[in-house]
Order: sequence, then C-alpha cells, then structure tokens
Amino acid sequence: MPPTEHVLVLALMLFCVGAVGVLVRRNIIFILLSLEFMMNACAMAFIAAGAKWGQPDGQVMFMLILAIAASEVAVALGIVIQMARRFRTLDVDSVSELRE
Amino acid sequence: MTLADLWVSFPLVVLVGGTLILMIGVSIVRTHKLALGLTLLTLVLSLAAHDLALENIPAGGYELFGLLNVSGVQVFFNALFLLGAIVTALFAYPYFNERLERCEEFYILLLTATAGAMVVAAATHFASFILGLEILSISLYAMIAYPRQSHQPLEAAAKYLVLSAVASSAILMGMALIYAASGTMAFAELTLSPESGERSYFLLGQALICVGIAFKLSLVPFHMWTPDVYQGAPAVVTGYVATVSKGAVIALLIRYVQATDVLSYDGVFYAVVFVAVASMIVGNLLALLQTNVKRLLAYSSIAHLGYLLIAVLVVNSARPELVMETILLYVAAYFMITLAAFGIVNLTSEHETEDNEQLEAYTGLFWRNPLLASILTAVALALAGIPLTVGFIAKFYVFAAGVEGAAWALIWALLIGSAIGVFYYLRLIYTMVKEVQPGATALPRIGTQSVVAVTVLGILIVVLGVYPTPMIDMIRSIVQASGF
Repeated sequence: MPPTEHVLVLALMLFCVGAVGVLVRRNIIFILLSLEFMMNACAMAFIAAGAKWGQPDGQVMFMLILAIAASEVAVALGIVIQMARRFRTLDVDSVSELRE
Repeated sequence: MTLADLWVSFPLVVLVGGTLILMIGVSIVRTHKLALGLTLLTLVLSLAAHDLALENIPAGGYELFGLLNVSGVQVFFNALFLLGAIVTALFAYPYFNERLERCEEFYILLLTATAGAMVVAAATHFASFILGLEILSISLYAMIAYPRQSHQPLEAAAKYLVLSAVASSAILMGMALIYAASGTMAFAELTLSPESGERSYFLLGQALICVGIAFKLSLVPFHMWTPDVYQGAPAVVTGYVATVSKGAVIALLIRYVQATDVLSYDGVFYAVVFVAVASMIVGNLLALLQTNVKRLLAYSSIAHLGYLLIAVLVVNSARPELVMETILLYVAAYFMITLAAFGIVNLTSEHETEDNEQLEAYTGLFWRNPLLASILTAVALALAGIPLTVGFIAKFYVFAAGVEGAAWALIWALLIGSAIGVFYYLRLIYTMVKEVQPGATALPRIGTQSVVAVTVLGILIVVLGVYPTPMIDMIRSIVQASGF
C-alpha cells in the first residue's frame, strides 16, 4: 500500500486541477466536470485517511460523497437544460444579465 | 434507539414525514391552497413537537446517534428556522400564484431545505455536517431557479450552484485532511496531539473548512456570489437564503468553534479577524453605490454577518453565556429584519414579472402605501442599528461582547461600518418620503396573509426594540438551561 501522504498529495493535486478547471473553463458542462473532479479528490483523500487509521469511516464518507455529488449533478443538469433552452448557449460568460 | 431518542428527534421526523406526505399529495391532487395548508401544518406540528423534545433534553444537550447534539440552543435555532419557513410559505403563496402555473413543488423544497438547516444546526460530526449542508444547499438551488421561465433566476441558480459546490468541496477536503491528521470526525475529539507530525495537514484542513464556511456565510473576500444571487432569485427565496441558510451555518460555526477550539491557533484567529473586519467595511462601502434594493440588502447582509462574527471571535476571551446570548439575540433580530425587508420587496412587486427592486420604484411610497412604507422605515432603521428598534439591541449586545473580549480592532470596524451604513439606510427612507412622480403607477392589490405577516414582523421589530426584556429573559434562560 502506498504511504498515506502520497495519496493525500495526489488528492490535493486533483483537487487543484478541478479548482483551476472551475475558474478557467467557460462551458457550464466542463465546469460541472471540474466540480466532480474536486468532489472525487475529496473522496479519495477520505479513503486514504480511513485506510491509515484502519477505520470504515473513510469509506462511509466516500459513499456519502458519491450520493451528494450525484444529487448535486442531477439538479445542476436540470438547470443546464433550462439554461440551454432560455439562453441558447452553454457559455457562462454570455449568460450574465445580473450586474450593478 | 430508545424512546427518548425518538422524542428528541421527533421534530425532524415530523418535518420529513410531512414532506413525504406533501410529495405524494402533490402527485395526486395539484391544488396550491392544499399544498400551502399541508406545508403550514407540517411546520406548525414540527414546532409543537419541540415541546416534547425539550422535556427529554438534559442540561448539557442530548447526544443523538453520535451525529447530532440537541440542546435548548438548538431548539431555539430550529424554532427560528421553522418560523422563517412559515413566513416564507405565506409570502410565496400570492407571489407564485400570480406568476406560475405549477407552484406546489416549491413547498416540498422549502420543507427539505428547512430539514437540512435543522440537521446542520445540530451537527456534531463531519458526516451530519456535510449531509445537512447539502440537503439545504441542493434544495436552495432548485428554489432559486423555481420560476424557470425567467432568465435571472436561472442565472442566479447556476452561479449559486457552482460556487456553493466549490465551497462544499473545500469543506470536504478540509474534513478529509483533518481526519487523516486526527483519526476522528466528531467535533469534540478533534484535537491535534503535539507530537504528531501532521500539524500542516490539520491546519490546512481547518483553513479549507473556514474558507467553505465563509463562502456559505458570504463573508468578504468570498462574497462575490451574494449580490447576483440575491438579485436574481425571487424575493421570497432571497429572504429564505438570507436568513435560514445563514442562520444554520452560524449555529454550526459557533458549535464547531466551541467544540474544537480552532480559534486558539493564531493563524486561524487572525484570518477570521481579517475576514470580519473586511466584511464590515467592504460590505458597507459597496452598499453605498447601490441603486438596486435587493443588491443593497445583499451587501448589508455581508456587513451584518461581519458584525455577528465579532461574537464568534471573542468566544475564548468573553464569558461563554454572553457570547451565546449575543449570537441568539443577533440571529433572531436579523431573521425578523431580513424577512420583513424581503417581504416588502415581494409585496410591492406582485403582479409584475420582474421584482420591483430599483430604488426609484420606492419613490413616494409613504404617500402611496403608508403601511408598507412605515414598516420599511422600521426595517431600515433596525438594519442601521438605530435605538428603539430590535437592531439596536442586537448591535448593542455585539458591542458589549466585543468590549468584554477586548477586541478593540473589531469594535472600531463595527463603529466605522455602522456609520457608513446609516447613510444608505437613510437614503432609502429619504427616497420613500420624496414627492410622487406624476405618472407613477399605483401599487397593486396585495395578498392579505403576506401583509399580515409583514405587519407582525414590523411590529415585533419596534416592540422588541422598545421593550426587549421578555426576549432577553427568554434567551438567557435558554442559554443557562443549555449549560453555558
């Protein structure tokens, strides 16, 4: 088994990849993909931490995160479909009527 | 599971059971009135069930399944959430009845969001924390986007969804790192033994959780989403987002801070001080420029949460019962004022497709609708913290807690922020007493129950400001009974 530190660092790197993706991508679908990246990086860190302590809690949190990410994406895709219908675009920059 | 467990969790059981009944009911008969009735019944029953719960709660709070801890303080927060949801439901009925064909599902979301808020407020474990937070947030996304034919709510929901999901991931990553460093996820056991070499993980984890919570509370510099979401969401939902979702996170924050003693780390403490000062100053400064009432209230809420953070920051230097009293009082006052404010925005804009949110729309409101204008005046004065309103009592308590904790930099920020604040709140009142423009449209006929709700809130704001003793006594006895 690889040392816990290595897995945690990998998880943090994946988390950062996701965060950068949310910041630079302009297509809402890719933003949602990047969010999945961040969530799954957290899940991986939990697995590593649970293995380190020899407890099942890490895996329980993993399943919770799966459920949370799935329900979040379900609502998100509903909003994306409505956006595509009303705005005729998936580009978040061109969807900005709310401003000062 | 013992019988006492059941009684203590009964309010939550009633709320979730009511949600299921409503869900089935809506799929059989679609009647807006019936949906509203069932919702109100569920909320009132859940409120009444707290009476049963209280009988079974010992002084230090009742530990439920190792995930939740219900004490008198939690019951107070729950009562606020339920009352907030009742007011929101009353506002929502006329608002959606005019605008949408299908409005029944809104109430299901309202009930699930309230259940999420109750779980968050009672959480003592990372699992219940994140689960409650997500039940609350995911319901809110759908509530914000509910009028899905219009552009603005959709945009607001998309923005809120992305930023809130980022905040949740940050919180999750923080939890994972803390778990890796400490081997437990219960708040009370989260301490770092000094010899373990994992201090960096632990502190990074705490920092990530703080960032996530600051996002949810819309504190500077994580406040960018607030004005857009407040403006884009329907006024009914904005009031709910501004009160119940913030209140739940505040309840969690104070419990987290007390259980884990995270503010005893210098780095975390000064970071939170910076966030509090920045929120008070930046929130008020940005509000000065606003001509949109919803955005103005958004910046004002940023500043108010900055004030509230003072009470959290002095948790180690002031008496714990004073800190708790301050927080309960401030949150209760903030709930009344904010719900009344968004209630009025909502009442003045019925029958229109977009909300009536530009400041000019309030010109001469005193001459057109004296009742609403008087309530809005009370609200503005209470937000500014002028004496004889409940806002003053709340701010006074924060001030007292800050003085007792000797947090002088925070007190200065509070004073400067409040001074700036008075300007734009008074400008709102000034706009209302100005002469009516010729050609201004008459106010629409408005739903009675919403007017009653807003009037009651307005009366409470003034009466509890003039004679706050009953409320202070009640909060004091709750805090003492909870063992502070």
